[in-house]
Amino acid sequence: MVRARGLVVLILAAFVAFGCSGTSSSSTNKGTITIGVSLPLTGAEASQGTPTKNGVLFYISQHPTIDGFTLKVVSKDYAVNGSPDASKGAATMQEFIADATVLGVVGTFDSGVARAEIPLANQAYLAMISPANTNPCLTKTVYIPGSLRSNGQDVTCKAAGLPAPADLRKTYPDKNNYFRLATTDDLQGPANSLYAFNTLKLTKVAVISNNSVYGKGIADTFTAEFVKLGGTVVKRQDYDPANTNDFKAFLTSAKALGAQAIYYGGLSADKGCVIRQQMIGIFPTGEATPFLGGDGIAQDPTCTRTAGQNAVGIFATVASVNPDQVPAASTTIAAFKAAYPTKSDYGSYTMVAYDCAGVIVAAIDRAIKANNGNMPTRDAVRAEIAKTSGYAGVTGTVGFNAAGDNSAAIVSLYEDKSTDPNADWAYIKAYDFNGADKLG
Amino acid sequence: MPAHLATLTRVRSTLSGSVGSWLLAALAVLIIVVALGPRVASQGPSFFLQIMTYGFTDGAIYALVAIGYTMVYGIIELINFAHGDVFTLGAAVSIPIFGAFGLAEGNALGLLSVLALVAAFAITMVLVGVLNVAIERIAYRPLRNAPRLAPLITAVGVSFMLEGIMALWIGNSTVHYPDLLPSTRYSLGGGASLGFKDIFVVVVAVILVAALTAFIGRTKLGTAMRATAQDKEAAQLMGIDINRTIAATFFIGAALAGAGGIVFGLYYNSINFQLGFSAGLFAFTAAVFGGIGNIQGAALGGLIIGLVRAFSDGYLRSEWTDVLIFAILILVLVFRPTGLLGMRVPEK
Repeated sequence: MVRARGLVVLILAAFVAFGCSGTSSSSTNKGTITIGVSLPLTGAEASQGTPTKNGVLFYISQHPTIDGFTLKVVSKDYAVNGSPDASKGAATMQEFIADATVLGVVGTFDSGVARAEIPLANQAYLAMISPANTNPCLTKTVYIPGSLRSNGQDVTCKAAGLPAPADLRKTYPDKNNYFRLATTDDLQGPANSLYAFNTLKLTKVAVISNNSVYGKGIADTFTAEFVKLGGTVVKRQDYDPANTNDFKAFLTSAKALGAQAIYYGGLSADKGCVIRQQMIGIFPTGEATPFLGGDGIAQDPTCTRTAGQNAVGIFATVASVNPDQVPAASTTIAAFKAAYPTKSDYGSYTMVAYDCAGVIVAAIDRAIKANNGNMPTRDAVRAEIAKTSGYAGVTGTVGFNAAGDNSAAIVSLYEDKSTDPNADWAYIKAYDFNGADKLG
Repeated sequence: MPAHLATLTRVRSTLSGSVGSWLLAALAVLIIVVALGPRVASQGPSFFLQIMTYGFTDGAIYALVAIGYTMVYGIIELINFAHGDVFTLGAAVSIPIFGAFGLAEGNALGLLSVLALVAAFAITMVLVGVLNVAIERIAYRPLRNAPRLAPLITAVGVSFMLEGIMALWIGNSTVHYPDLLPSTRYSLGGGASLGFKDIFVVVVAVILVAALTAFIGRTKLGTAMRATAQDKEAAQLMGIDINRTIAATFFIGAALAGAGGIVFGLYYNSINFQLGFSAGLFAFTAAVFGGIGNIQGAALGGLIIGLVRAFSDGYLRSEWTDVLIFAILILVLVFRPTGLLGMRVPEK
């Protein structure tokens, strides 16, 4: 039903656009150009994937043609049995490659799936832009730079057990085909340190991680920045999520050492918010004792439910911009919500995906013009996307460096303000590491 | 026999007697005092007391699971790997039962809801008990005279099947368990406190272990179980229905694990489908620790593992916890292969 409505809007918009521009483009249709969408559209992540896809559909509904070509969106789901699946992602990427009209793909949502898709797309010069991937190793050789760690030593992608960017672009190493608008995970920890030290005025924090590459990573970067700012980490622990159910001994010891808050590196699936719940009876509850963490727990209803009575006062970061807080985005968001009135059609990445589509279409436009109005090659489109700089998107200005990272590096901070799992987390603030906010 | 083996045998026979018990206990206390002494002194007595309460509650839950392992091993010498998953199943099954009884979060614990809680415990225990009897009938009984490896593998298989079914049913992430008990805490002085939930866990465990001990020691079926454990053939000759007795053992073991699952859920307020894997592993360790086949031993083993866990988490780093538990286990088994309180398995 919802999808049908979106389709009607798209068709209507196409009619309107054709009607208006019919005379100037001499009404000759030069063919179809397809924008692929590679996202999880069923299962657990569909609640994020579908609104993200809608952003692309909405952009194309507003821009149905370009230089006489008709634009079309083809979405492919990479979830299998409800979970994102890298091999399914690779298979859908093959389908996109086989379709000669596909000149760019918006995706993926999951870094693990991107890792399977990038090498295939690289063979075909096909450009991908992700609205949401935050794993540093998709674009950087270093998982966590030494500058963000206490001992000054880099954690390389290899050391983190991940392939380096060059390993993902083996066919044409000099033709980067992967770009992203989200920033990277290594800035999540520092953003939380800044908030904890400068705003919450905390000086003593205990740090615990789920012992994963991601969890340890953000816990390490939090620690390094917090210490640089002048704070103390009174206790550090990396637990085994499979064997640990009881965190009360750790918490009691943290309390005895004077901890004013706990920083957690890990996922809610690894009992992260169980730690918050067990703080009841040991620490003062709610905002009196903040619980800090990354996007492994941020805005997650499971986390709120698990934390129970102690859900309020969880401050967690997401390595992405919050479009609702960007004044320039408000008109587009309102137009989107008019076209897609169902609440679940709009999500955190809808407007970011809208900008991804915009960047691709702008590059296609330049490539067509450079090719005397004819259908451009994928490589030409890829090269034009790589040149993107100063693109005025609704979520901010987009520009890519040689690795494919966006020049904007924004980390948003959210707080759980309610024990109701269905309530939205409150947006607190954004840290712009390319602009006003500098690391200590 | 080489000299060093003879020495080891001599040491073992000394240590497996009552002298050995005292020596081991003294050694354990000495290690704990030397390793933790300075840290304990610097953290103060109320911290010590607080950590101890965590150890007791955690240990009580391990004990409830360990008893089922030990009973089944004692009677048919099978390591029932599926037992840990029966524990998880107890927790998962009880959630809808609570719902059916109208037990919801935020309700005050009146007389009616206490009765409903007891009824929910009973129904869950019966349900998982019946299920475990069915597992025994289908996956273990036909293999009773097969090579020992065969039922071991079917047990592993049943474990994976139960985990898979639970993943499909409750999902593969953390599930919230209703928080039905009051979170009242009673001060123990000096900042240490004891929660109502802690007391609840220990009391339930003590009641169940006491009831089981009385049942095994005083009833006809309990006597039949002991007789079957000692010598299956002789028991059969005396007119004991072996199949019925073994089924009863599986029923009781699962009922205790199911109760353990509910206690776990009410205490920690979150469960996941894989819970039984590690809980089962540590409970089995506890059973071996205390002397497999020995119910008091399993309870003691569970308690010790809970305490080691809490003290290691509290005074050291949690990375040390598993190292410590298994170091102690190896030390005990090398000098005392029958476990702390001695094995009770069929004599050959």
